Order: sequence, then C-alpha cells, then structure tokens
Amino acid sequence: MSGNQQTAPGELDFTRVFDAPRELVFRCMIDPGHLTHFWGPVGVSAPVERIRVDPRPGGVFETVMVNDADGSEYPTQATYLEVTEPERLVWREEYSGMTVTATFADLGGAQTEVRIHQVNVPEPFRRPEAQAGFLTSLDRFAAYLGQLRGTNAS
Amino acid sequence: MPPAQERLDATFAALADPTRRAIVARLAQGDATVNELAAPFEMTLPAISKHLKMLERSGLISRTRQAQFRPCHLERAVLDGAVEWIEEHRRVWTERFDKLDAHLHDIQADPAEDEERT
Repeated sequence: MSGNQQTAPGELDFTRVFDAPRELVFRCMIDPGHLTHFWGPVGVSAPVERIRVDPRPGGVFETVMVNDADGSEYPTQATYLEVTEPERLVWREEYSGMTVTATFADLGGAQTEVRIHQVNVPEPFRRPEAQAGFLTSLDRFAAYLGQLRGTNAS
Repeated sequence: MPPAQERLDATFAALADPTRRAIVARLAQGDATVNELAAPFEMTLPAISKHLKMLERSGLISRTRQAQFRPCHLERAVLDGAVEWIEEHRRVWTERFDKLDAHLHDIQADPAEDEERT
C-alpha cells in the first residue's frame, strides 16, 4: 500500500453545451439541491443530505454516490482550489489526487459551454514549470491511446 | 490503494514520456528488437534500454528470454487498462451531463419545480 500520495497522470478532456444561462449552470455545480439531480451517473444516486459544498478556495466538496442496484457507496472528498463565479471551478480529490477544472463559457443566446479537464498529475510534475510541459505532452492522450488500441497486432 | 490502481499508475507513468510512447506506438504494429526500436531515435542503445526497462517494469511490454535478440512485445491488456480508465471517466461525465441537461430543461420549464425537488 503506497498511500494516497501516489497518483497517475491520466488526463481527460470533456466538453458539453447546455441550453441554459451560465449563472444557472454554474449554480447547478455548487448547489447540493441541484447536484443531487445529476451527480451520479446512470444507476447511481447522489443523496442531497450527503452532499457538502463550501464553494470557496480551501472549502470542502463532498459527495456520496450510491449504487441503486446493490446500495454500495462511493464517497468522494475534495477541496476547492478555485471558485470564480460564474467562470471557473477547480477542485482536488483527496484520495485519487485528481484535479478537476470546470470552465463555463457564455456562448450567448442562453447557451453555456462547460469544459471539464481532469488530470491525475504525479508528484514530480506538480511544479508549475514541469506541469506545463507535462500537460502539453499528454494532450489528446485518450485519443492517442484509443488509436493504439485500434491498431492490429501482427 | 488497490493493485489495479497501482498498475494503472505504473502504466501512466511509463506513458508520460514521449520516447516511451513512440516505442509503444511502434510495438503496436508488431514485435521488434532493441536495435529496431532504437533506429528512429538519436539515442544510444543504453538510453533506449533504460526506457525499455521502465516499460517492462510497468508491464506494458515483455521480452522473450530465450531468443538471442530478445524481441519486445506489447502487452495489449495493460494498454487497454489505461484506455479503459480514461473511457470510464468519460462515461461518468457523459451520463452526469445527460442528467444535468435534463435537469436544466426541467427547472427552466417550471422554475417552481427547482424548489420542490430540492
């Protein structure tokens, strides 16, 4: 057991456009009453009474996801690193060391684009100068790996 | 940390280097010897060997013990594990945002519902 410090440099980029004004979309991401409606993926609930949100740098972001089929629970504890309403949210998960950045762009016409950038950065890369190069090198990492997997072995 | 997570960490750490990713990309097309793998790089054989050792430790590649030239072989299942990690997180965000999309439509269609449902 190497403890909570060990992390993996996986990276994920995810973008979605919503038909709603930016202020509302942002509020959904920091309000337990809203989060409970969507935080769990398919077949998983996120009970409102078990969500804790303190949206300020250093504040907690805690959720418990409950599997509807067997009741198993996935608690997640995170800390906000940045809360810039209504543009940007950054939080860091304690156990996985994963950092998630959510960026909210006002597209006009009551449309909002949300970009999720999720990174597992290993300790040696956490210095800012190293991080910049590291993230560049991992750009389109998922697409790249998917491409490799699609290649037939000879 | 579960063993699967440790394996993933080792895989991602091994793939964090561009030379090692290029080696993996080459091996995705078929087994190759150290000399063949070194050819595209301006690197000494010991430097390439160091990268291969790290890939081998991560489980991403294996090397035949008996053959003289010990060709390197890509362990696809390990690479798949890394791809699946990314796909799993992508799935969670996709489903989460599908629900958020529906929720946003609900509360904008009937703002009072926002209060009722919370």
